Amino acid sequence: MTFDLVEVGHVAVILAFMLSLVGIVAPLLGLKSRNGAWIVLGRQAVTLIFLLLAIAMGTLIYSYLARDFSVKYIAATSNSKLPLFYTVAALWGGHEGSLLLWVFILSAFCTTAVWLHWRTQPATIPYLILVESALMFGFLALIIFLSNPFERMIPAAPDGKDLNPLLQDPAMVMHPPMLYMGYVGFSIPFAFAMASLFSGRLGEEWLKVTQRWTIFAWLALTTGILMGGYWAYYELGWGGYWGWDPVENASFMPWLVGTAFLHSAMVQEKRKMFKVWNLFLIIMTFSLSLIGTFLVRSGVLTSVHSFATDPGRGVYILLFLATVMSVAFGTLIARSPKLRSPIQLDSIVSRESVFLFNNLFFLVAMFTVFLGTLYPLIIETLRNDKVTVGPPYYNAVFMPIALGLVFLMGIGPSIAWRKASLENLRKNFLIPLFVGLGFLAVAAIAGIRSPLALGGLAVVGFVASTITFDFGRLTAFWAARQRVNLAAGFLTAFAKNQRRWAGLVTHFGVLILIIGIISSTIYQTEKVVSMQVGDQLQLGPYTLLFKEIRSVTGSNWTAQEGVVEVTRGDRFVTELRPQKRIYDVSMTPTTEAAIHTINMGQLFVTMPEVTPAGATIRALINPLVLWVWGGGAIMGIGVLLNLFRPKRDGT
Amino acid sequence: MSKGKKIGLIISIVAVLGGLGYLAYGNFGQNLVYFFTPSEVMAFAPDYYGKKVRVGGMVVKHSLKVEPGSREMTFELTDGAATIPVSFMGIPPDLFKEGQGAVVEGYWDQGRRFHSNMIMAKHSEDYMPIKLKQAGVEMPKKDFLRTLRPQ
Repeated sequence: MTFDLVEVGHVAVILAFMLSLVGIVAPLLGLKSRNGAWIVLGRQAVTLIFLLLAIAMGTLIYSYLARDFSVKYIAATSNSKLPLFYTVAALWGGHEGSLLLWVFILSAFCTTAVWLHWRTQPATIPYLILVESALMFGFLALIIFLSNPFERMIPAAPDGKDLNPLLQDPAMVMHPPMLYMGYVGFSIPFAFAMASLFSGRLGEEWLKVTQRWTIFAWLALTTGILMGGYWAYYELGWGGYWGWDPVENASFMPWLVGTAFLHSAMVQEKRKMFKVWNLFLIIMTFSLSLIGTFLVRSGVLTSVHSFATDPGRGVYILLFLATVMSVAFGTLIARSPKLRSPIQLDSIVSRESVFLFNNLFFLVAMFTVFLGTLYPLIIETLRNDKVTVGPPYYNAVFMPIALGLVFLMGIGPSIAWRKASLENLRKNFLIPLFVGLGFLAVAAIAGIRSPLALGGLAVVGFVASTITFDFGRLTAFWAARQRVNLAAGFLTAFAKNQRRWAGLVTHFGVLILIIGIISSTIYQTEKVVSMQVGDQLQLGPYTLLFKEIRSVTGSNWTAQEGVVEVTRGDRFVTELRPQKRIYDVSMTPTTEAAIHTINMGQLFVTMPEVTPAGATIRALINPLVLWVWGGGAIMGIGVLLNLFRPKRDGT
Repeated sequence: MSKGKKIGLIISIVAVLGGLGYLAYGNFGQNLVYFFTPSEVMAFAPDYYGKKVRVGGMVVKHSLKVEPGSREMTFELTDGAATIPVSFMGIPPDLFKEGQGAVVEGYWDQGRRFHSNMIMAKHSEDYMPIKLKQAGVEMPKKDFLRTLRPQ
């Protein structure tokens, strides 16, 4: 047998696993003996783990490209006909490779954090190394003993089984790494929080140091979730982007709690309140990140019985989760008497209290999702009954919560700390309140009857005007004070408090996103018809002519392609070509949507069925659906403005 | 913070939690959809008639009939022990075929026929058509409900 590079990767992972023990023991000895050399050893260990895991990833990617089907995992997730781009991405197309990617990102972040904060946070570093190494130990043990992507088989498979065709898509290539960067990103504030708990230095330090890590993790997670939605939208061919699928929920739960944490951290920074609460939130966020990873990749969502086919893995995952959570929450409980905040809430009409309700809403939202996602698993375990919780449950519960949160989003940034006077309220909210009511009136006159749309528009109007008002007032203030024009005043106002404005930009993105969601779900037009070549279909103002059906061939698929000409009156709009594909290797059919954008909305056509006489055509108009992604992009810009703000800009 | 204000705060928190909790509770029970096999459907007590349920089984070969020119179709679903007739209106998913596993959502009416407008196919990272086929016969209740989604 020739020398196989993939074995080098396997050895690298085993070495990394052993070094993670060094990463656990060295800082403990360092703390005990107060000898800095142990801590330096710990740093060398985590740095080496990162390099070793990089080698492991590299060799596995090389073996994918070399089409080495003697590696079980490669044979299960790729095929010699798979295009190059997806061959690399197939690495995270299954359980084993995803775990490797997860721990690789963890080691990269851990190493970065250790070197970055080495000088400024010497007291925290040992705990950081300890916590992160313990996590890496847990994951690497799972990889080596129970989910090994380097496992070989002899003889090698003649060819691979291929990557699930639905995953052969650019958005799906980036989606898992993004999500994982979010999940793993939260491990840094988590480790700092644990350091603060272990060491008993319970001030605000850990929050301030990890603020950018939190924001970065939140950005990655948000991007990952939105990418997943975008993928579902055009690849799954049902024209929606969020189906309350357990897999989606798994990534949404840490997002909800992470967002609550992001906000309540500000209260502690400014007012030294919510200390226990913030620690609770970050522990919760990271625990949900772990649960999210395992829910999606362990197969437990398919059925709890799939645990029975691989009991070791299931039991291990449960034990790992239980250990992390009981150590974290246990320490928090043990320390909580020392965490009493000396400052109390002054008034219920204050920014503190708005933040409190913001947190309450986010947590309730998380629990509703948690209940809907895990209730079926509990029922199946206890009663052996199969049950699902349908999207109507989530929609009915979630929409009011979301509108409540958006409403609070308008009040929070403008209301005074401690106790808002009537004057403060009147000055900030009277006009926006009327704008909101104005939106409501206009919408009602325009014929909108859905309570969700009406409520949504009113709240969006209110919040949009608080934001505009805020910007406007400070722009005018600085323009007058520095005797410059409004544009220069705007820039000064922005530069004076970039963090605040960046947050408002993100809030503005949320408004756009909400309008996109309301419009594309409530005002979607759908038609499904069996058509023969030459038939016409009227969809809203558009006429769809089914011109022909033909065969086309791609690199690893063949398809029946419908040609649909779209006209509006006499005017030609576009030609759409939905496909019904069959992938060569797995012989799986997929439905490829054809999309045309008009006025930020989209015409969405699929051909779900080809019959001897013609085809079934499903056509949708999704008004303003681009606002969903546009809103997401604006949110991202806001977060980037926050991340890359000049240091020391006041608050 | 004075005692009165504290009580005010607690009342408002309880009110918010209560309201949202009620919303969740009220909608939860209604939207639980239970999963059955064709045998269980045949043994349904009358209070299950007309209730939204999901049924998983294998589509019986040569039972699929499509109404020409419409989107209506009929087929039979079996778990090996019992077979039920299904009327379906809508778009079947990509993986729907005779001799394959399928899950249908709809209701069982007194006329001894299952009416459905949603069929689900497997949506999962692990692509295994043969297993799915077995799952449709041997383990309809066990193995493949939760990764299914409407397509």
